[in-house]
Amino acid sequence: MIVARIAFRNLFLHKAKTALIGTIMCLGIMVLFVGNSLIDTAIGGLRRMFVQGYTGDLMITGPTAFPVTIFGETAGGEETIPHIAKLPDYRKLLDSRADVTGTMPMLTGSVEMGIGETLIGQGSMFGVDIGEYRKFFSDNISLVSGSWPEEGNGAWILLSEQSVAMLSRSAGSQVGPGSKITLSALGESAGTVIREVEVKGVIRYGQSDSTLARISLCDSDTMRDLLGFASLRDGAVVLSEEEAAFVESFDPEALFATDTGIRVSDGNASIADPFRTDDTPGVDDAFAPSTTPEAGTVAAQQPDPAWQFLLVKLADSANPDKVMAAVRTEADRLGQNDRVQDWVESAGSTARTAQTVRLVFDLLVSIVAVVVVIITMNTLVVSVSERIPEIGTLRAIGARRAFVRRMILLETTFLAVIAGALGLVLGGGILLILGRSGITAPNLFFEALFGGKVLIPQISIGAALRAFVWILAMSLVSSLYPTAVALRIKPVVAMQGD
Amino acid sequence: MDDSAMMDSGDIVIKLENVCKTYPLGKTEVQALRGVSFEIRRGDFISIAGPSGSGKSTILNLIGCIDTATSGKVAVLGNDTATLDDERLTALRHRGIGFIFQSFNLVPVLSIRENVELPLLLDGPEAKREGWHGSGVHAGRGRSRIDSEWVDHLIESVGLADRLKHKPAELSGGQRQRVAIARALVMRPPLVLADEPTANLDSATGDSILELMRRMNRESGTTFIFSTHDQGIVSLADHIIRLKDGFVMEDSRKNGQDPDRTAQIAQIAQIAPQAFAAAVGEYK
Repeated sequence: MIVARIAFRNLFLHKAKTALIGTIMCLGIMVLFVGNSLIDTAIGGLRRMFVQGYTGDLMITGPTAFPVTIFGETAGGEETIPHIAKLPDYRKLLDSRADVTGTMPMLTGSVEMGIGETLIGQGSMFGVDIGEYRKFFSDNISLVSGSWPEEGNGAWILLSEQSVAMLSRSAGSQVGPGSKITLSALGESAGTVIREVEVKGVIRYGQSDSTLARISLCDSDTMRDLLGFASLRDGAVVLSEEEAAFVESFDPEALFATDTGIRVSDGNASIADPFRTDDTPGVDDAFAPSTTPEAGTVAAQQPDPAWQFLLVKLADSANPDKVMAAVRTEADRLGQNDRVQDWVESAGSTARTAQTVRLVFDLLVSIVAVVVVIITMNTLVVSVSERIPEIGTLRAIGARRAFVRRMILLETTFLAVIAGALGLVLGGGILLILGRSGITAPNLFFEALFGGKVLIPQISIGAALRAFVWILAMSLVSSLYPTAVALRIKPVVAMQGD
Repeated sequence: MDDSAMMDSGDIVIKLENVCKTYPLGKTEVQALRGVSFEIRRGDFISIAGPSGSGKSTILNLIGCIDTATSGKVAVLGNDTATLDDERLTALRHRGIGFIFQSFNLVPVLSIRENVELPLLLDGPEAKREGWHGSGVHAGRGRSRIDSEWVDHLIESVGLADRLKHKPAELSGGQRQRVAIARALVMRPPLVLADEPTANLDSATGDSILELMRRMNRESGTTFIFSTHDQGIVSLADHIIRLKDGFVMEDSRKNGQDPDRTAQIAQIAQIAPQAFAAAVGEYK
């Protein structure tokens, strides 16, 4: 194709301009490639860490106005995340889908930890069924010491290595398997709840940062008590006539009696916590003899245990939309305002920070892009102006306007492709070098951003393609005005000589 | 545009009728042509002569369909150029007219052979659809197939067979103009326009270029129109049109004055007597 031949050779004829524009494009694509690869690597690491270790691909939560993080934080400031009323329905739906590989319910809360009456620390804690948790996050959790809790073990806690170190420092003595710890939390409606648990073991997370490494696990019933779910029975529990009558006649003074048959648990009296799965004794049992309610006084309709979150793992993490849509449809069918969200919302500020960094980077790239377009465009306009006789001659001897348009576009495209390829090679080299040494996070911010202490950059094919498309788009935009200038050249200029 | 439209029914390939051309110059206007009329026959070797500013280049621009008249009618190969849009004018230039420029105007990045082939490769799919077979291009599957023999013949004819792969910058002025002549003829156009083809050449080279053009004119029957202010080379033409201040002063053929032309010039003298008289006075 003669137009391609002319366009390609013109690049070499105008070496200075080609070198200027080519260098700008080359550096642009290199920075874009390296920057996006670093961000892709960081977000990929964060994604892997959260999805495989903490949040799953999707998280269904009870009805909240705003997204909820796995730590129980919401933009709306709700103190207690509501439970999912129809959790079994969701599990039934999801477990039947081929694109879902697993589901797991859990609870989350912020608790204070103490030994006796001495406060020794505080932090986030997940209430889980340890069997399900280990199965769901099989690659992310291992036992350092102690043993895994078993059914009938009562109230237990598994402390992370970091928590053990922190608590031991605060307590002035070694905390470990066999230690008794009191957990306390201030519920939204239940007042302060205190529970005593036994440290069953010390765990280590496969993937974690300094925040996540402090998270400990406890049994779900203890967490329910701490969250005050006993007071969340409105709408969830249908009281029998007998229960209603009992509530009506209930005398708070009776709490302080020793043989009332009423169980003291959390500052409020309860017939029996319908959200508990068993009658695990709490710290209150240490102060008051535990009594089992009469069978006749138990709720007529025992509700399912309360869970705040249902984590979902997908066969294809990159395509959560269909499953999210199915969950929303199911929520509508059930008449629930439950929320389904992806890992980014579940991960909270850490993932948002990474995405913000990407946005800032994209913004900077956009500003640089405008500058590059202006420089490139100006240089091309000068180039076209210097070639007015040549373009006029082409038009005079029969080249159509389309020929001239193709010639200018091909020139910039060839340049973009060559400079782009060179930029990708240079960027790839830089990434390979960085990949060997790794980038050590200089502070906690970067540690959170990197998803660990060291970021090992990887070459992202997606970033390379994005950079390449970006440079092609830039060259196209840059050539629009010069092309318009070239198309305005009249064939008569060929007669005017040099 | 088909062949029948391109070719005039008779021997007349160019016809100008009372053509005026005015150029803006700041807040004033310059009248480059003032009621010019003449005809050019097929196969002629024509010189448009006159001093600088007489309107030679303007006439070539109008005949070459790269400029438009302010008034009057310009018919090129049977086409009224005022009625054609840019696309059709481009097609008419491409297939009907070869150009030889004063500054050679070769494409610097193309070799000699590629420069000569260039017009053939500009032929778009429209030409094939419309069945234009006057050029050295044959419609092939997917792309044009160049008539290499014709290209080789042209390059050999202009004496540059040993310079095929050279770039224009590696050639002398005379050699470049030879390439331009070959390029102008490669589409086998009925008409070739040469704007002061020898102006940038020494006299010996200029003579050889004119001789080459004359030979091509005889061999191919192509009409050659060249402008010049060099009285010495005007005599080579068999049809001379002399201009002065935008008027035609003389329209003569070697085989004798055309009585109709003489009457036309006299008519123009009546339309603009003062300007014409001034031009004639200076001309004599």
